[in-house]
Amino acid sequence: MFSVIIYGRNDTHGYNLHKRAAISFNALAEVMSDPDDEILFVDYNTPDDHPTFPEAIHDTLTEKAKKVIRILRIRPEQHAHLKSKTHLVALEAQSRNVALRRSNPRNRWVLYTNTDMLLVSRTPGESLSDILGSVPDGFYQIPRFELPEMLWEAAFDRRDPAGNLEKLRDWSVRYHLNQVVHNFMPMKYDALGDFQAALREDMFAIHGFDESMLLGWHCDSNLAARLALYRGRVDTLIDKVFGYHCDHTRVAAANNKGRQTRMNDQDQYIWNVSTPYVPEQAENWGWPDVEIEEVRLDRETSYQRFTAGLDAALKPATVPYTSTSLEWFLYDDLTYDIDHTLPFVADQMLTYPRSTSVMIVGTRKEFVERFLTAWRAMGFTGPILVPNECEGLPSDLEGLERGTFEDLLPRAEMFIFEFGLATQSPDEPIRIGRQAGPLDTKRLKVVAKLFRQATSTEAETRPPGRRTPRRFVGVNVIYNRFWPLFTDYVGANINPFCSQVLAGLPRVDPSLRGKVLRFRGRRAI
Amino acid sequence: MSNSGMLLRLSGSLREALGTRRRQPVDEWVAGGNGSEAEHLFLRATTLFRTGDGETAIRLLRQAIAIAPAFSDAIEAEGEALDMGGDPAAAAARYDEARRLRQVGRPGAPDRHFVLRQQGSHTAEIVAYTRVLKSLKKFALPHLARGNAYLADRQPELALADYDRALKLHPNSLDALALKGEALSALGQHAAAIEALDRVIAARPKDAEALNARGIAHMALGHVDQANGDWRQQLGLLAGRPAASAYVALRLADYAVALPHLEAMVRNDRRDPYWALYLGTALLRLERPLSDRETVDGDSWVSSLLALQAGKASESEVMARADTAARRAEALFQLGVAAHARDRSAARSYWQQVVATGLPTLVEYAAARNELARSAS
Repeated sequence: MFSVIIYGRNDTHGYNLHKRAAISFNALAEVMSDPDDEILFVDYNTPDDHPTFPEAIHDTLTEKAKKVIRILRIRPEQHAHLKSKTHLVALEAQSRNVALRRSNPRNRWVLYTNTDMLLVSRTPGESLSDILGSVPDGFYQIPRFELPEMLWEAAFDRRDPAGNLEKLRDWSVRYHLNQVVHNFMPMKYDALGDFQAALREDMFAIHGFDESMLLGWHCDSNLAARLALYRGRVDTLIDKVFGYHCDHTRVAAANNKGRQTRMNDQDQYIWNVSTPYVPEQAENWGWPDVEIEEVRLDRETSYQRFTAGLDAALKPATVPYTSTSLEWFLYDDLTYDIDHTLPFVADQMLTYPRSTSVMIVGTRKEFVERFLTAWRAMGFTGPILVPNECEGLPSDLEGLERGTFEDLLPRAEMFIFEFGLATQSPDEPIRIGRQAGPLDTKRLKVVAKLFRQATSTEAETRPPGRRTPRRFVGVNVIYNRFWPLFTDYVGANINPFCSQVLAGLPRVDPSLRGKVLRFRGRRAI
Repeated sequence: MSNSGMLLRLSGSLREALGTRRRQPVDEWVAGGNGSEAEHLFLRATTLFRTGDGETAIRLLRQAIAIAPAFSDAIEAEGEALDMGGDPAAAAARYDEARRLRQVGRPGAPDRHFVLRQQGSHTAEIVAYTRVLKSLKKFALPHLARGNAYLADRQPELALADYDRALKLHPNSLDALALKGEALSALGQHAAAIEALDRVIAARPKDAEALNARGIAHMALGHVDQANGDWRQQLGLLAGRPAASAYVALRLADYAVALPHLEAMVRNDRRDPYWALYLGTALLRLERPLSDRETVDGDSWVSSLLALQAGKASESEVMARADTAARRAEALFQLGVAAHARDRSAARSYWQQVVATGLPTLVEYAAARNELARSAS
């Protein structure tokens, strides 16, 4: 019957985002009763190494919510062409249009709202699907009622949407919450963007939201103006459903800088709107030709993929624990435990697109083999690229491609640099003072050289059309002699030694030292 | 999203509107399709309701509804007053009734300008945009929105005035110019309409709605080739959208092109019985057997036409039920379709009557003109 379209990203938009979003997701799912109903959450521009916002809070969502939520992930790379045109990190019009394009075509309605709304039908037991199924074609809005922060934060149980909606029925009377704030036409109500129900067919006809609105605010009013023109009327569902907004102004959100807030021009986008259509974007609104990843919370979750990968690549431990040490005299000992390290390497991968191609530059054959097993079992489809310059690594495994470093560089979308000892055997004790032999030293020199070169030339060797920098994962680069090297070139966080792994984007160090390092890297000196 | 700037800007006008209303019961507002008395009562009731007198508002609204029983805005306003007065059950019934009434009647043809596809009366919108115009005189939207409400309510002269004001403020607005063309056409000023639409289409050659409007104006003036040229161009721009494509093809009396679109619409939209009627029209004109059809509500006007197509109703029975000029034109067109296979001269005669008496906006008018032009050549 209807597709709810909301958007956001894995950040901190306003006060206690996680709680109000969980409350809202669960409450929206609770008022759905048609098998075609869905909540489309567009996760816009969350950093690639983060999970999407709903994934981050999935444990607070009800089973019903997890079942109906479809997450459409827009990557930073997909936002990159708009980055210079806006101060915002999440774009409303683009998000909502991407979802509209990919919404269930069997649904008659699209409901635009936000991740802090609860909808309470006035007839207890009546679902929003029932309500929208019973009303004629049109463009419907409802007034928004505010919910003081204390109430939703202190009294709502995230995983009890029915109980929360019941509480709202009670509070609305006891605490006089229901105040309709009228607004001039075509807006009809204040805060209209929290409930705008339009026919899916109408939204396609008018070319979705206006994607030239890049500065935030008034997207809802613009839509109201255009649909008011198109339909001739702005109808209300106030007799059927009340909408409550979890107030969140204790902390200003990123798009709210008080009187200094930058906004889309309201004269242009509201009062001088003269047509429902946006002919400039008629063919490309909602990015029809862009492949958008879809993530589900009820199947093939990141956790399921992670464990599938590791279960395929690891045998369970046979001892209660193993040990290592970070004492300084072990600084040159590059032995490490692949079984223990692999989960931390896999952890760096899961939030990336399945089609990602990864270059592995390393020394240990076993690492490459085990990583490849995990990679495939995690559902990745992109190739593992291994430069010919790295001797001793496998070349005949399915999904692994070899080639010259220079040829592979523009194909790689991520890098793993592994600094181990080629001569380390699987059953060898770890960090007991082992020194690198001549073969180890020779292979490590190659890895270090390629590492410098890859990081120093990252910007100019990106795959064609790519705008965003690629991620570098360093394996066995903490508290050993490759730690300074890795962190000279990569902006990695400080990680505990136990994880063995550092990761980040190439550093752009404007100092003389940084320039020298980059020069050396480029020239492979 | 809240909009404090906009609110600040407009709050003055709200105060002014409410304040002056006591001295001056109506703004620059003209009564529309529900009649002057009912609409004045509506205005007074809504103003009183805003000042807190719900009881009197309900009384006045009921008087308005007694005068104009199909006045959906008044019925919805009564619902709102009942709701705030603590009777949500009665309120819900009034809201539902208003929604039902807005669906009564045949929607506008899907190939036409969006304004002309709108149903129901728009008194509340006219009042609301009049209020906006008190403070935002220099912007396009309130002029166009009110003009559209007038045009949809079949008051093209008032619509034209609003469009002209919009054009005075924004002389380059092609949207306003296209709407002016529609208003002129509705006023029967087809040559002037064509002039306006020529300018729109010169600047926006892919404006399907403007092409449709110009086609209608041309056809009204008997420029069959030019009309068909516009509609053929429109057809190419519709990218196979079935509802609009079917109507354009019917205007062209190109039944082979219309047929697949009509079949799609019969499958997709079971609420509008005209799809079955027009599918039958296309099949008859293509000399193909009528497909099995689901029954349509026995009392509906369209069921009479379907019965005529199936040979189960006579000309006199159908014409007796044709209670408006549009329905008479629809009936005459179908009589021509039914007669065509056995008596082309009779068919021509029916279609000539459609052209003589029907409105140029009707799909039957264009189809009849094309049928006549084709049979004459």
